[in-house]
Amino acid sequence: MSAAEAIGRPVKRLAQVLRTSAWLGWQVEANWADPWIFLMYAIAKPLATTLILFFMVRVVSQGGATAETFRYIFIGNTFFLYVSEVLIGISWTVFRDREDYETLKYIYVAPIHLLPYLLGRAFTRVATSTLGVLVALLFGRFVLGLTLGVPETNWLLLLCAVVLGLVGVLWLGIILAGVSLVVARHSMNLNEGLSGLFYLLCGAIFPLDVLPRWALHLSLWLPFTYWLELLRRMLTGRGFAASLARWSDGDLWWILALATVGLCALALVWFRWCERVARERGLIDWKTNY
Amino acid sequence: MEGESLSTRLRMNLRAVYARASVRVKASFRERSWLLGETLFPFLSMSAFVFVYRGLKAPREYEGFVVLGGAMIAYWNNVIWGMASQFFWEREQGQLQLYLITPASRMSILLGMALGGMAMTTTRAAAILAGGILLFHVSLPLDRALPAFGLFLLTLGAAYSLGMILSSLFLLWGREVWHTATILQEPVYLLSGFYFPVSAMGTGVAIVGSILPVTLGLDGIRQVFYGHAAHGLLPVPWIPPIQIALTLIFLFIAAITLRYMENLGKHEGRLTVRGD
Repeated sequence: MSAAEAIGRPVKRLAQVLRTSAWLGWQVEANWADPWIFLMYAIAKPLATTLILFFMVRVVSQGGATAETFRYIFIGNTFFLYVSEVLIGISWTVFRDREDYETLKYIYVAPIHLLPYLLGRAFTRVATSTLGVLVALLFGRFVLGLTLGVPETNWLLLLCAVVLGLVGVLWLGIILAGVSLVVARHSMNLNEGLSGLFYLLCGAIFPLDVLPRWALHLSLWLPFTYWLELLRRMLTGRGFAASLARWSDGDLWWILALATVGLCALALVWFRWCERVARERGLIDWKTNY
Repeated sequence: MEGESLSTRLRMNLRAVYARASVRVKASFRERSWLLGETLFPFLSMSAFVFVYRGLKAPREYEGFVVLGGAMIAYWNNVIWGMASQFFWEREQGQLQLYLITPASRMSILLGMALGGMAMTTTRAAAILAGGILLFHVSLPLDRALPAFGLFLLTLGAAYSLGMILSSLFLLWGREVWHTATILQEPVYLLSGFYFPVSAMGTGVAIVGSILPVTLGLDGIRQVFYGHAAHGLLPVPWIPPIQIALTLIFLFIAAITLRYMENLGKHEGRLTVRGD
């Protein structure tokens, strides 16, 4: 076997697993309705939260709130959709496969590993979130009349920033999936709560500077804080949070990249450990629903 | 003889209500992670919306709007996930058929679920309100608490009656239940004005939103507490009769749809389908 074959075969196999599990994920998530209803479902949440924030700003506009302020809120809220949907989606897959469909154990009797399977399953959430983000951006641009992008906006770089943040979200999702392997189903709300915690601490919909000092310190430890700030700077040309003003765009890129690499390393170690514990304790076909 | 039979049936149904409600209350306190997940985490999301108003330098009453909305969301989510979707969960766990073979009325089971759900959710809503008052210093004038509480009870009656209708509609569904329940969250938060005065969307949209009892209930409670600053949609005296009318209409529809859907389920053999 040549060196190219030795490398190519596992990569090909990995691509096959990702593709198949992504297809399975799509069937599970999307085949309950016809495509138009599913499309409505995918965009309902982002549009609703956008409009909630729009009316919140509008109702106090006499207090000095401006369209400019709403633009920052809008960008943060729109891209946060990736965090809330993808993060929760991966760990939810573990519970659904383990307890509802009772198929998690069959992953272990198939010649595949659980980790790439879960990453493939996350594809549907990534796709529907991307659709939600795009529709929300178009809605903001053409219905709400927001200016998105400035002459200096490098759209390719923006795409790279979105993908980099998304990769971080995926690895954090794998960490939560590891937790899900060793806890009961009803602990799912703890995972969901983490999304709420990030929504609050990342300053997705308000400037970080209004947070109490202790919460602000916590916020500065979260990679998504820097991610959202970077996206806002790229789309508006200016930062939103005074607390992050000391970081240049380059610094934000570095922080985000290092955090993503760190999350990846942590996720690989943590997930392997959780998987071993789950197998040792016989939790792979655990049923805890009540 | 007939009177005796009626009183026996009444006693049996009251016992069914009590049994279903007590299971819900006991289970909710037994599972500590639920307590945490249903109080702390919704509070975090709500806090984000409080900080939006703080960032916008809005008058302090607006933070009060969010806290009241956050407490009401706890009930709405319970209506969606604990009432509407409940028969779906019961079917998935193989318990629905047990309800159906008992002589107790399905409405008694639903009433028990509603009362238990209200009791369970009240602890969550109280925690959210207390957190809002203590951490965000939101002011809720206590001298107006009694009329607000009355309006709140009427709102719960109407909201849980709506939950009974949804419960019967969801009875036969499979995975659609998850997604429909999800779709009844954020869009309803918008339409009911959980985080802002519903009148901000314009009278037409707000009136459409008022088909959901939580919309008018929340609007009325805000008006009771904050007066004109609440940007009310309808005068407060109009709201109680509307809520009572909605409760009666929803209960009537629920009784019909429940019977219809149960019969449909039996004919199509879908009441025992699992993993759909």
